[in-house]
Amino acid sequence: MEKKSFLKRLTQSKMFVLLLLYIAVAAFYTIISKGQYLYWVNIRNILSSMVITAYLTCGAVFLMISGNIDLSTAQVSTISGILMAQFLMKGFPWPLAILAVLAGAALVGFINAVLINEVKFQPFVATMAVSYMVQGGMLLLSHGAAVEVSNKYIVWLGTYRIAGQFPVNILFTFAIFTIYGVVLAKTKFGKKIYMVGGNPVAAKLSGINPKKVWYILFINNAVLGSVAGMLQAARLRSGSATGIAGGAFAGMTGAILGGVSFGGGSGGMGGAFVGLVLLNGFNSGLTLIGINPYWQTMASGALLLIALTFDYFNTKRLMRR
Amino acid sequence: MPEYIEFNGIGKAYPGVQALKDISFRAGAGKVLALLGENGAGKSTLLKILSGDIQPDEGTIIIDGEEQKFAAPYHAISRGISVIYQDRQLVPGLNVIENIYSGDLPSTRLGLLRKDEMRRTTREIIDAFGLPIDPEELVGGLSVAYQQMVEIMKAYRRDSQIIAFDEPTAPLTDAEISILFRLIRKLRDDGKIVIYVSHRLAEIFQITDEIVVLKDGRLVKTMATPETDEAELIKAMVGRDIGDTYSRLSRNDKLGDVLLEVNNLVTDAVHDVSFTLRKGEIAGFAGLVGAGRTEVVRALFGADHILSGEIKINGKIHKAGSEKASIEQGIALCPEDRKEQGLIMWRSITDNICLPVLDKLKKLLFLDRKKSETLAEKAVERYSIKTPTLDKIVSELSGGNQQKVILGRWTSDLIDTKILILDEPTKGIDVGTKAEVYQMVCDFAKQGIGVIFISSELTEVINVADTIIVMHNGHITGTVKREDATEENVLALAMLD
Amino acid sequence: MTRVVRNFTKSKGMTILIVTAAIIVFFYIMNPAYLSFDNVRGIMYAMSLSGTITCGMACLMMSGAIDLASGAEGMLAGVLVAFLLRTDIPWFPAVLMILGVGAVFGLVNAFFANILNFMPFIATIAMSSVYQGIAGVITTNQPIMITNKAFWELGSISLWVFPLPFIIMVVLLIIYGLLIANTKFGRQMLLCGGNRNAARLAGISYKKITTIMYINNGCIASLGGIVLAARMHSGSMQSVIGSEMDGMTAAIIGGVSFLGGGSSGMTVVFIGIMMLNCFKNGLYIIQLDPYWQVVSNGALLVLALIVDFFREKRRLASLKAPAREAPAKQT
Repeated sequence: MEKKSFLKRLTQSKMFVLLLLYIAVAAFYTIISKGQYLYWVNIRNILSSMVITAYLTCGAVFLMISGNIDLSTAQVSTISGILMAQFLMKGFPWPLAILAVLAGAALVGFINAVLINEVKFQPFVATMAVSYMVQGGMLLLSHGAAVEVSNKYIVWLGTYRIAGQFPVNILFTFAIFTIYGVVLAKTKFGKKIYMVGGNPVAAKLSGINPKKVWYILFINNAVLGSVAGMLQAARLRSGSATGIAGGAFAGMTGAILGGVSFGGGSGGMGGAFVGLVLLNGFNSGLTLIGINPYWQTMASGALLLIALTFDYFNTKRLMRR
Repeated sequence: MPEYIEFNGIGKAYPGVQALKDISFRAGAGKVLALLGENGAGKSTLLKILSGDIQPDEGTIIIDGEEQKFAAPYHAISRGISVIYQDRQLVPGLNVIENIYSGDLPSTRLGLLRKDEMRRTTREIIDAFGLPIDPEELVGGLSVAYQQMVEIMKAYRRDSQIIAFDEPTAPLTDAEISILFRLIRKLRDDGKIVIYVSHRLAEIFQITDEIVVLKDGRLVKTMATPETDEAELIKAMVGRDIGDTYSRLSRNDKLGDVLLEVNNLVTDAVHDVSFTLRKGEIAGFAGLVGAGRTEVVRALFGADHILSGEIKINGKIHKAGSEKASIEQGIALCPEDRKEQGLIMWRSITDNICLPVLDKLKKLLFLDRKKSETLAEKAVERYSIKTPTLDKIVSELSGGNQQKVILGRWTSDLIDTKILILDEPTKGIDVGTKAEVYQMVCDFAKQGIGVIFISSELTEVINVADTIIVMHNGHITGTVKREDATEENVLALAMLD
Repeated sequence: MTRVVRNFTKSKGMTILIVTAAIIVFFYIMNPAYLSFDNVRGIMYAMSLSGTITCGMACLMMSGAIDLASGAEGMLAGVLVAFLLRTDIPWFPAVLMILGVGAVFGLVNAFFANILNFMPFIATIAMSSVYQGIAGVITTNQPIMITNKAFWELGSISLWVFPLPFIIMVVLLIIYGLLIANTKFGRQMLLCGGNRNAARLAGISYKKITTIMYINNGCIASLGGIVLAARMHSGSMQSVIGSEMDGMTAAIIGGVSFLGGGSSGMTVVFIGIMMLNCFKNGLYIIQLDPYWQVVSNGALLVLALIVDFFREKRRLASLKAPAREAPAKQT
């Protein structure tokens, strides 16, 4: 059997194209900012900005590869930060507060999965409906006000910098990405996710239970969203209803950029990571060169559309072959 | 008003299959012409060509001496052709009037609808057909039969001169069928050209004037209905030279113990089905599409809910609760629709072959890539799957090679398949590969696997299987040994009315 | 006429009308100020914005498409009109120009949905943030004041007790109601929404029809934003955002199916708009915690979606074949 060489595989991959694209973007910003783009401070900013979305991306990538979608993640994130802050304020020990929030998030994920698996709602409609309910709950809980987070362990998680320079939560992000990447690429469960996304009927007839996979992934996604929200609260030292940048599609844009398509069954964590770097590297460059922050709001939508267009032409090329 | 429609040398090929070849016949006004043939004979393709949904590779359709070109369905409609499909083309949320007029609504120059005219005409049509339907009623609220009547009225309203029916009686009760026939006779008496596709012989004799028999995409015979009988029709439908493909098969000649016993199986679509399968036996399931064959094996495999009955494997009762449980018992199902149900089209050959055995490919926490590739490599060699690499996406393989990938999946070293269910394994496969598949089926039997072989091609099923189980309407209507089976007696069982 | 009345009493409209009446009675008992002149005018104003958005949205949904950027389109139109009126351009050409921009909004959606085959859901949500970004860049989050007094009138004058925006909304609903009920195009639209495959076989182009409806929706949403800007004397980023959800809720309550096109006509949509706004205003008038108000509105949409889902499921079950094509592998 003939095997493609590593180099050939690399150059043909979407990841490689994205990486080139990012290098171009970085070069552009570097020139405009007279080299500031490459300063450690800016690189740290880019990495820090990735932290929160990284969790959402991990969840979204898994779900999307399995052929599903969750629009409620951003709301789950936001409510998690608020809830954690409130639990802490009421004097819960911090591990208990975190566990309670995670359990709540898991419940939301479970509800999503029930609506889609058992009631057979379209994922869009179901998760949008759930996101409204979560949002309502969030407003009721917070009344729009921020709640301070002062627990030193949690604040440490959110803000500690190794040697005063390297934020510890970036390490967690890398760890999470690696773990999810390995699970997806190397394990049986990862394979099942691809199979279920590629063709749920065929997977079912081969002894895989797609519903079970979806249950796990929806719960996983909500839990990751919740972790992101708590981490955000820890970083800002307060839980507030400001929400996660990028809204319902926060985790998906990077994923789509990195080659995960809505149809399911394709893409991977590596691509999603590069997509995320591109996304945040692009946005931080905008800030750096002093462009009105609203350009970023615009860019978040535009990038999603560009990502989709990219995916469209790629799929078309595949079809033609 | 056209006098006739003529098909002149129509041919249509799909990759690997010649769906139609040199079809020429003529249907005249005031007559009902039956289009008869086995499944896959090419009736549906011909109807699709007539409706403009697909275009023929060769040949022409001629109406009253004038050659027609239909690039899209509405071209055919505008030439007075209406095809009434089984899946009705109605909008459930609109009422009868609006559905009858969909497509060409009468309007003034300003685009305003002529609603009174619409209502009046609809009323007239309903009265002309003598149907108890309220024109204002939403179509979604009508019964299946009346929805079909709405389709017919739609054709009538368009003043279509050529009306074709695709298996119209399949979902109807006897009483409804008689209403339908009344409508069809009215159309005929009004001087329309009616084309009636069915494989229910009794109906053909009741309603039609002429019969055109298709087989394997070719026209076998044209005859007048009163001058023929069932026996002759069946002969025309199946009559073909049995090539020596079958005589060259190297078969398994020693059957083992009883492997599978199904007793009084009942599901939503299957009534009281019982049969046995021995080790090394090939049990063929014959019958028409919708006879319940696929439903039997799906229930057996745990994919459909079983209402009552029992399944025994090697004498032990098997609870068919889930696909997974069945696979653990050694049952494997290769579904009819490879693309939709069998393969993960956008994944590699390796992934598709390893699908059911992922559990056995674990090394500690991870999947053993080497082992998966060895497994796939063996399957590729064993079935001589034509591919440059194991990473090739299965959607890029030919139909035959795709089928082999599925067979490879269920017969790898890591899986102990005792009962192999093949649902239409030769569908969409070229003739050469078909012969290969037959030999594979025999080889499985030699290994002691019990094979359930479902096929709508009679010749194939009666020549490959050891026992032929014939189904009709959810029941088993007969079991025939290969030695005793002829296409005629099997078809007669399958078409019991 | 009697037929119309009879049909109406049998239709969904009757149920919703009864519910609306119950809502009105309930809030009136809770607080008689609910039916005071000022409050009723307040309800009319509220109805006029969400009703205008609903009108475009309902038509779009009937043809089987959706635009979740409608609110952002209206908002941006309001901002743009304020921006434009800072120059010396008279208000009428300015409004026309912005309506033209609204058509472009629709065209963009149609491009993504019909040419690149994106799911309209995602593409329009993405466009929504694009428009918010553009508005942010233009306004830097400060309302743009409008000093053109003639333009103010568009939002403030009344005919008898009815404010002009309300009248505009009603006129739009009547026009579209007649269009759908009485024209060929209207029926073709319903056909597209109800059974895409049947439409194709009948020679009706789904893409053509929905493109027209996207453009139409962009224009109507922009009109809504413009009228609001006239009433507020400013174009602001915060103004119309979120009203696409109101629009969707009202349309679904008004019998337009979220999933399968189909409709009970614009009269029922009007009742849907009325019900939604009477409900929202009632919550306000009984001084319910504002956060509960948000929750209730969300709950109403969810409820409407669920009812629609089961309604649609039952209807589709009556046809053996699915009325809509199975979604192809889309991006």
